[in-house]
Amino acid sequence: MIGAGTKRGTAELAILSVLEGGSLHGYEIAHKIERQTRGKLRFTLASLYPLLYRMENKGLVRGAWEVSGSGRRRRCYRLTAAGKKKLMPLRQEWSELFDALRQLAKVADA
Amino acid sequence: MPDWRKLVGEHLATLALDPQEREEVIEELAAHFDETFMDLRKRGLTEENATSRCLDEVRDWNSLRRSLQAARRKENVMSNRVTQLWLPGLLTFTLSMCLLQLTQSRPVVTREHLFILNGTVEIGRVFGHKPWILSWGHPPMAVVFIPWLFALPLVGALGAFLSHRAGGSRRAIFLSIIFPVVPFLATILLITPVILAFDRFIAHSPVPASIPVAALGLVFLPGVALLVGGLPMQLFIARRFGAGRVTS
Repeated sequence: MIGAGTKRGTAELAILSVLEGGSLHGYEIAHKIERQTRGKLRFTLASLYPLLYRMENKGLVRGAWEVSGSGRRRRCYRLTAAGKKKLMPLRQEWSELFDALRQLAKVADA
Repeated sequence: MPDWRKLVGEHLATLALDPQEREEVIEELAAHFDETFMDLRKRGLTEENATSRCLDEVRDWNSLRRSLQAARRKENVMSNRVTQLWLPGLLTFTLSMCLLQLTQSRPVVTREHLFILNGTVEIGRVFGHKPWILSWGHPPMAVVFIPWLFALPLVGALGAFLSHRAGGSRRAIFLSIIFPVVPFLATILLITPVILAFDRFIAHSPVPASIPVAALGLVFLPGVALLVGGLPMQLFIARRFGAGRVTS
């Protein structure tokens, strides 16, 4: 069963997926998503941070200030236990959505 | 390189968050612009083009401001309001009512009790336990509780301190200071239209003229007394702790 929030959840899924590999700051998250999807999925600053803050409020990610080797302060995000728990069912829902769309495309072609 | 922090700060100056939280958001977004700009420069873009590409990241700053506010405040708004406004407000209201009661009754508190209670009782001894009545004919008249007014600056200062300690904004602190008179003001504002609506059926009713006088004794003067204590406290804690705050 595909949940109503699946479409909105794809952006969340993208962020949770890249954070699965370790903590990243906002720019790295956007850059990694763009690189891994070969530019098909792109987050601007205006779309990324409101979503990150919402996810932080929901307890899916946690942000903390860190100082890089060059002495610059950046807020890095990491997955929380709740975020890790949410990742698998979200992937499943996304997969089901694409299967359903593929089925529809086949019917339309036939 | 453009001063991204200044640019973001100017666009998000009205972001309705706690000052500390707003600074964090501005710092984070400015860092994102920094990274994007440097990356674009590394890829060979001129400074002008890189700046232009960075600015394309935000088409509508007002929309971004609203989104950021909604995202940051949605889950915390209740707990923040409770700790920064309702809790200090209700505590100071209760305290002010207790003090009003105390100043109107014969002193039963001994010197071993709290300083604030002793002080109030002492003031009560000086000014007497009956309210002062300011009369402008018969009626209207204002009932002024002088000992209570002397005790209220402490209550206002306590409201400011509690709200600030919970991370309250300037507005939350101000509301916490004047909270003890807000119920009186609300009551007066609620009953005024009712009184005015029914007044035309009563001959020579003194009630409408009494409303502003009641507001003077129960809202204006106590409000000023609360601010006399609360505003210096707000100023003091802003100077004492404001500069030392470190974003985390």
